[in-house]
Amino acid sequence: MSVTRAMSAPIRVAARIAEPALWFAGLLLLWQVLVRALDVPLFVLPAPSDFLLRIVTDHQRLLHEGLITAQLVVYGFIAGAIPGVVFGYLIANVRIFEQLLYPLFVFIQGMPKITLAPLMLVWFGYTTFPKILLTALITFFPVLVDSVAGFKSIDHRLYYLSRSTGASWWQTFWKIQLPSAAPSIFSGFKITVVVAVTVVIVVEWLNSNNGLGYIVLRAMDAHDTALIFATLIVASAIGVLLSYAVALVERIAIPWRRH
Amino acid sequence: MSIGASINARELTKSYGGGAGAFHALGPIDLDIKPGEFVSLIGPSGCGKSTTMLLVAGLEPPSTGSIAIDGKALTQPITEVGIVFQDHLLLEFRTAMKNVLLQQEIRGLDRAESLERAEHLFARLGLVGAENRYPWQLSGGMRQRVSIARALVHNPSMLLMDEPFGALDAISRTQIRHDLEMLWLETRKTVLFITHSIDEAIGLSDRVFVMSRSPGRIVDEIRIDLPRPRPAHLGEYPDFAAYTKRIYSVFEKLGVYKFD
Repeated sequence: MSVTRAMSAPIRVAARIAEPALWFAGLLLLWQVLVRALDVPLFVLPAPSDFLLRIVTDHQRLLHEGLITAQLVVYGFIAGAIPGVVFGYLIANVRIFEQLLYPLFVFIQGMPKITLAPLMLVWFGYTTFPKILLTALITFFPVLVDSVAGFKSIDHRLYYLSRSTGASWWQTFWKIQLPSAAPSIFSGFKITVVVAVTVVIVVEWLNSNNGLGYIVLRAMDAHDTALIFATLIVASAIGVLLSYAVALVERIAIPWRRH
Repeated sequence: MSIGASINARELTKSYGGGAGAFHALGPIDLDIKPGEFVSLIGPSGCGKSTTMLLVAGLEPPSTGSIAIDGKALTQPITEVGIVFQDHLLLEFRTAMKNVLLQQEIRGLDRAESLERAEHLFARLGLVGAENRYPWQLSGGMRQRVSIARALVHNPSMLLMDEPFGALDAISRTQIRHDLEMLWLETRKTVLFITHSIDEAIGLSDRVFVMSRSPGRIVDEIRIDLPRPRPAHLGEYPDFAAYTKRIYSVFEKLGVYKFD
């Protein structure tokens, strides 16, 4: 403890990253040794060297298709998150919305929405629209729930104070409600954006001629497990990067937060 | 020096709910507070003290009766007012100074003038050095001082305080009580101060109204004739003991206290 405190900030950060990285490297090494020692066939389980090499050799294709998937994730996420916050505000503040919409939303929330994917394809065909729509739908609900919680957590006496200052609706929203609810809203964003990656890949399995889901599908047909693993790593990287991007936006938007 | 507002309430009542399940919370009460007067409402929990404050602020409509502020009938929330609640209710995403200057932003007041007033209030309230701290970096007493500064920065004619020191420790309370009295002596705003504490009510007020519970009514009115500023240890005045005794005896008569 005292040693950590004595270290400078960059070294502390490096130390914090180094420990899990070492564990991870050790795990990969063990995997490598076991696969080679037990002579596991490549199509059953590739060694880390096999799929890490595939990332290098197939990097152009993985990057190209990865960007297509990432783009859909971003579009779908934004299309779901913005209405999620808007309806979260309405449900938390307007009684009629709470009474009419919230029970309906809670009901839909309990539904496995990914099962709507085939239906969406029948309705909207093999375009990007059903992928974005489904991603938006699955993003919408958790963001909504966290937004409702954020807006509802505001002490009602703060509204007494804002009314006694003669604040307009907009001033109350912009200066009190939105920043008060922001931490809760952002925690919803950070969890949901990772889920959105999964959704896009699953929909790409069902219908696509591009994207990471499509690569996985083709690799499955060819029993190319090394490529499947390589694609999964790229997909995870997209999830992690988007999650960090949201965290970065959070730091810029609400710098007052105790990080 | 700003001039405090007068408060006149007639036959004020407040009930919640309707029909057979209606809860009669308050009144009828009459209240006449002169400009620049410091008045306390004291009474047991649930006696309608807080409700009275909300009615006077125009934040809740009375069920019956009327209120006039400076002779003008009250029909909507008054803005010429500063309010302090038991909880500081500071915005956690604003520094102490920015919490206070929220008043200036919302009301569209002159920035430089408000900043000057805020700095003066910070000095008078022992908050120098806390300007750029966030609420979570301040002690409970400091937070409550910031919320007092926020209630005064726009120079309102009336200050409404709902158990403002209720959550503070005894030592902080004594100091903040004195600081509030000094600020009041400087500005002479009309203050309606709601409290559970007999010491606080006597230590600060020109007049104390004692309230009964369910329904809340004013059952006694005591004029406090003690010199100002009043000391930390009020016991040195023989009158203090008499005032205290009178309030306790009212409470005993009401059944608030049962001592055998």
